[in-house]
Amino acid sequence: MRLYIALALGGLPIGAMYALQALGIVIVYKTSRVFNFATGAIGLACAYNASSLVDHGVPIVPAIAVAVALGVLIGILMELTVRPVRGTLTRTIVTLGWLLLLQGVVGVIYSSQVGTNEPARLLQPDPFISLGVLQYSQDQAAVIGIAIALSVGLAVFFRVTALGTATRAVSEAPDAAKLLGIRVDRVNLVAWGIGGGISGLSGVLITPLLNKLDTTTLVIFTVQALAAALVGRLSSLPLTLAGGILLGVVQPVVFRFVSTSFPSVRGTDELTALVVVLVALLLFRRGGRRDAVSGGLEPVPIRPLPTGRVAIASTVGVLLAGLVLPLVMDDVGNTSRSNITQTAVWGMAVLSLVLLVGVVGQVSVCQAVFMACGAFGTGIAMLHGVPFLLAIFLGALLAAAVATLVGLPAIRLEPLELAIATLSLAFTADRFLYSWVPFASPDSNRPVPRPGFASLDPGHAAAGERNYAWLVVGLFLLTAFDVASLRRGRTGAALTALRSSEPATAAMGFSVTSVKLRGFAASGFIAGLAGGLYAGLLQGASGAPFDFTRSITLLAYAVIVGVASVPGAIVGGFIVTLSTLTIGGTAEVASGRSASTVTLLTGALLIGILVVAQDGLFGLLSRVFRFRRPQREPVAVTA
Amino acid sequence: MAARLELRDVGVRFGTFDAVDGVSLKVHAGEVVGLIGPNGAGKTVTFNVVTGLQPATRGAVLLDGVDVTRAPAHARTGMGLARTFQVVQLFAGMTVLENLMVAAHRFTSAGVVTDALRLPGRRRALAAARERASAVLAFLGLQHLSDVEVSSLPVGQARLVELARALCLKPKVLLLDEPASGLDPAETADFVALLAEVRATLGCAMLLVEHDMGVVMPLCDHLVVMNFGRVLASGRPADVRDDPEVKTAYLGTPA
Ligand SMILES: Nc1ncnc2c1ncn2[C@@H]1O[C@H](COP(=O)(O)OP(=O)(O)OP(=O)(O)O)[C@@H](O)[C@H]1O
Ligand SMILES: [Mg+2]
Repeated sequence: MRLYIALALGGLPIGAMYALQALGIVIVYKTSRVFNFATGAIGLACAYNASSLVDHGVPIVPAIAVAVALGVLIGILMELTVRPVRGTLTRTIVTLGWLLLLQGVVGVIYSSQVGTNEPARLLQPDPFISLGVLQYSQDQAAVIGIAIALSVGLAVFFRVTALGTATRAVSEAPDAAKLLGIRVDRVNLVAWGIGGGISGLSGVLITPLLNKLDTTTLVIFTVQALAAALVGRLSSLPLTLAGGILLGVVQPVVFRFVSTSFPSVRGTDELTALVVVLVALLLFRRGGRRDAVSGGLEPVPIRPLPTGRVAIASTVGVLLAGLVLPLVMDDVGNTSRSNITQTAVWGMAVLSLVLLVGVVGQVSVCQAVFMACGAFGTGIAMLHGVPFLLAIFLGALLAAAVATLVGLPAIRLEPLELAIATLSLAFTADRFLYSWVPFASPDSNRPVPRPGFASLDPGHAAAGERNYAWLVVGLFLLTAFDVASLRRGRTGAALTALRSSEPATAAMGFSVTSVKLRGFAASGFIAGLAGGLYAGLLQGASGAPFDFTRSITLLAYAVIVGVASVPGAIVGGFIVTLSTLTIGGTAEVASGRSASTVTLLTGALLIGILVVAQDGLFGLLSRVFRFRRPQREPVAVTA
Repeated sequence: MAARLELRDVGVRFGTFDAVDGVSLKVHAGEVVGLIGPNGAGKTVTFNVVTGLQPATRGAVLLDGVDVTRAPAHARTGMGLARTFQVVQLFAGMTVLENLMVAAHRFTSAGVVTDALRLPGRRRALAAARERASAVLAFLGLQHLSDVEVSSLPVGQARLVELARALCLKPKVLLLDEPASGLDPAETADFVALLAEVRATLGCAMLLVEHDMGVVMPLCDHLVVMNFGRVLASGRPADVRDDPEVKTAYLGTPA
């Protein structure tokens, strides 16, 4: 018992940091109703900044001040990009773009230090300060003190100052506030600035506690911040503080508890946070606060396959040139064949998102987790002697089942809430699922031999590679065709109907729950299929290609090319493949400079496209195109 | 014989406010019942209770004598209920025919797998649904709208399409929530004639919410008047119209 108390108290400083990051989220949400998924990434940028300043001999206090100023600046820049975007959910996706952008920038600038940096200590660990059972080092005590002071200070600030009142007015009724003469934009700007500064400060303060600094850990901290912010019901600063500290205190206890029975388990901290996130989201509903999070993407019904000779010819042309032709030609090497296979696989992954976002109208930030389920599922099935193709099918079924589980709360949640839950899942899978032994294998690479293809003709390995490419491309074309013509089928029609009116769809005799879940299952199945095929390509399944960055970038590509566009999925697949090529060969997610450059560009592109055209590149192009051509006569509708 | 649709002492409470408070009524086979009352009387909420979109706080809903109070909305559709909405709820982004086909799919059974693998069942389901939808369009004389995207329809035609979509479900009881609101007098007259024809040909029972007496009086066999969630009066249309209490409810002053 004493041990557990000691463990719990040991988590206090970290908990205070969770709270600080969560405050950054809450302050922004309170005013602008946008969920800032980039808090962790802001912390990351500021931590690297402070750390390198200290390395260059700048004294501690000015270094922290510069880093916090950087956080404020990032917050302000974020507000400026969020402002022109309509819709809470779409705005939140912009912050995902910032997450990628900041992670990429840090990787590019500090690539020599990535993962190896010994973070500068901000305060000396001694002398120890005695607090009953436990002693806190000076920097730990400082961190706790700062967190408490800041949350109390901000709570008072929001209660008593004119800006605080204005903030509340802006969040309750922005238009009315505008009429009352409140400068809404400025209030938002201030809130984002404060939020960014706090996120930055928490990043700076947390690194000495963690004793390491890399480009992922601080970003994954977002899940803890999300949990704490939700405990605070996205509005109460003291409750948020309590939530963060509670989480910090509970996690070491949970870890100790679990690791005594399962020594190899990792990621229990994230798992704990995920559970808190899910419970908090579902309880939110019970409490009846419907306004907590709201808004969805504008419904963008999938366009049916392009008709008209020119459109068909160009689609077929793209397909032939991009996928089929290089396969038919004999003298392309194995590498480019496997690149084609990759393009089709990633295209399929983007397609699964086109289905989910474009048709079901839900945003999933954990599509790579579904892929991983397909990949690992294939490996597990093959371990039990299931033939390769059947194993892929079983893996895809597993992914469909997991997707259905994820979809289950989605029936009750708003799209933004689902985005929070799935992003938390993506973070947790990174740390927990991909190293969990019954699922991943102990050396974290599950072999996926593909007997039918590699050894088809032992003398001609190339033939095996080509046949496999044919298989994958064929399956991709089939799924692309299915998704494109989905609306015409029975379930697809119901799904499309659901997006305009749930009551009317129910009145047509369709169960809303079942139709939605079928959409999730289908999306999960396609993602899982892609994952299994990818594992077949690499002849092994591991977590690295399916990390949280991948989940976010997949969503980014789907949004960039346009969630309503099926041909866009092919383009999305090309982009992913290209990006992995620049990293070098197959997509081991390297933490090198080029990988960071890709992440950076993806983030920038996502932000840019959402500011310019919310229906993505394809929507933008088609509008430009239509603008040039003379408008066709609208169909006469008089009787 | 049990009534097609029966409400027994139905109540719906929002917080401390009784939107519907002890409503009982019956709709017999082939009968057209009008549900009238001033704004906010609880007519739409009553409709939602009947169709299962709004759970009742008390009371029971019976279809052909079967208690469906706990049945979900889509199951009730399967038992012969169909409705239109006070605010037209067509499926945007789809054509008129596609809207009707969603309803007509109640009689087909192709699942996700059949759809995805393009098994013969998919083609059969689509053909059956298209046939049913086209037949209903032809019956209402709306074939020319078949390929029009629904968001470009004017209100009058949108209401007709919503009626057509409901008819695709082969309803035994049809619930119409203010089907003539937003129509001009000529359109309204056409609509009344059309409803009379629907009734004569298909013989389905109807429960009709409408403010326009020009629609209610010629169509209804029976009227139920609601006010403040309660049934104020019910009986033959002419009798109800002349009831002084009803006049008070509508005009606010004793007649
Ligand atoms: N979900 C709800 N929560 C709270 N109150 C509601 C809800 N739905 C309806 N009400 C209230 O119930 C009352 C009855 O509403 P209802 O829509 O049934 O009226 P109505 O008779 O259809 O009126 P109208 O002729 O204007 O359509 C109204 O006062 C309305 O504000
Ligand atoms: Mg009404």
